[in-house]
Amino acid sequence: MASLADVFRVLARMREEGVVIDYAIGGATAVLFYAEPTRTYDVDVFALLPADESSSLAPLVPVYQWARAHGFTVDAGHILVHGVPVQVLPAYSALVVEAIQTARVHYYEDVSVRVVGPEHLAALALQAGGARRRERAWLLLQTARIDRDQLRALVRRHDIDVEIPDEA
Amino acid sequence: MKREFAGDRMVDVFARKRAWHRRRAEAPLVEKVRILLDLQRQEIPLLAAQRPLRRWERPWNITP
Repeated sequence: MASLADVFRVLARMREEGVVIDYAIGGATAVLFYAEPTRTYDVDVFALLPADESSSLAPLVPVYQWARAHGFTVDAGHILVHGVPVQVLPAYSALVVEAIQTARVHYYEDVSVRVVGPEHLAALALQAGGARRRERAWLLLQTARIDRDQLRALVRRHDIDVEIPDEA
Repeated sequence: MKREFAGDRMVDVFARKRAWHRRRAEAPLVEKVRILLDLQRQEIPLLAAQRPLRRWERPWNITP
């Protein structure tokens, strides 16, 4: 049976083969690296795509073609990598681009994986809004090691209207 | 007097709860993935009872 490390290996391969310029895991899967687990059923992957693709109307077509060519099914906007739904999201805002560029490299077993840093993860959750994402930002503030000054600077720079408390 | 006692007990309960969350947050990554896989298996039947599941909402058939 495959493991999560095998899923991360596929992401690294997408980058090595130039299907994506760069990537970083976000969402609840990224939270695992910094805080207590929360439920999720897919892996969100933010991606910087090659210039030709990022301006196209269907920027993910080459990613899906690559996935199919490597034996993975694409269904409902997810690539099923060893049965784990992976949703590739083209970088849609300046904050996401910054989150990808400043991603941290973690090791899961022996596999390196790029993960959005905790401050960007909290800022993205606050920017997206909604009850579940606010809860995620709060969870990060409560249980992850977050540089609150860095998070405050981030929300200011990206016009996210929120007060970051000194203690959560 | 009785109310103060109850208040102390609640402070204790919340402190233990915070410590439990902290332990989970500081667990090794593989252990956290194992917890996530358990959460998925436990929650899916409850979610399915509330609303139709989306196609990708199913427990991951992987090892941590």
